Amino acid sequence: MEKDLKPDDSTLVARLRDPSTCRAAFNDLIRLYSEPLYRLIRRTVQLHDDADDVLQNTFLKAWQNIENFRGDAKLSTWLYKIAVNESISYLEREKKRRGISLDDDESQLIALIQADTNIDGDELALKLRNAIATLPEKQRLVFNMRYYDDMKYEQMSEIMGTSVGALKASYHLAVKKIEQFFADSD
Amino acid sequence: MKDILTKAARNDGMTVPDGYFDDFAARMAASLPEMEWEKPQPKVMPRTAWQRVRPYLYLAAMFMGVWCMMKMFDLMRTDSSGLSIDNNPVMTAALNNDHFINEYFINEGDISDYQLMQDLYETGFDPSVCEEELTDEFTDSTVIPENPEFPISDI
Repeated sequence: MEKDLKPDDSTLVARLRDPSTCRAAFNDLIRLYSEPLYRLIRRTVQLHDDADDVLQNTFLKAWQNIENFRGDAKLSTWLYKIAVNESISYLEREKKRRGISLDDDESQLIALIQADTNIDGDELALKLRNAIATLPEKQRLVFNMRYYDDMKYEQMSEIMGTSVGALKASYHLAVKKIEQFFADSD
Repeated sequence: MKDILTKAARNDGMTVPDGYFDDFAARMAASLPEMEWEKPQPKVMPRTAWQRVRPYLYLAAMFMGVWCMMKMFDLMRTDSSGLSIDNNPVMTAALNNDHFINEYFINEGDISDYQLMQDLYETGFDPSVCEEELTDEFTDSTVIPENPEFPISDI
């Protein structure tokens, strides 16, 4: 079953548009969306501390641009878009800072996963994270949003600016590659 | 493969420190900067009916004022000059004078040549003077057509 993060945002959006209630409404928004956004960011940047930084930047950017939010898209879609962009920007900055080339992208992620201490010890979950780390960046994002967040392709399309067909193909390819990863490792 | 994804049960194996999300919400709320648009804006009062109609009333009043002014100037000019036919005492006296009416109004349009000549003779007019002047004007080279287009009497 596909789930919608927050189906009724209309009241919250109305409060966000009123300067007198905007700050209180944004605090509610933080409480509502911090966990799903954190999960998305964490799966991209891998480490908790990094995810915490990126999540803060995401909400800060949303706060600074809240007056430009016209309500054409869903609030969750708008926030996811900011979070995805912030996560990718963070990874790019880290690559430049550490002098990592594109070819070393996979090994960098695997190293981060191995360094992660905030894990529940589930071996299968850890192996799946390593398999996902072998995917190209866009496929990784598509797989994470579809598999872990059970997000609709239409919403993913709005977030990533890619057609639904291309996203379906991307997810299908990602599944195949993960399947191959598991087959090779057995 | 399908079994692996089913077994994984959408668990990413990632954990967060206890109370992280509550703590994060409080931290984040405290760190939000004050934005320009948060400051209370001066309330814009809705325009009343009087405020909407006022410019048109002022415009109408201005035109009325101009019209009244022009009317007043017109009246002032008529009264002060005294030159209008109705109010002119000279004209009134002339119109009441029968001799003036007879001489200049009634006879002016249809006075006959005979009466004109008679008046001239009565005032001592000598027609031979005119004939001499007319003869002097013509030279030898002047050819008078036998059937002139305009009779001499018209000259």
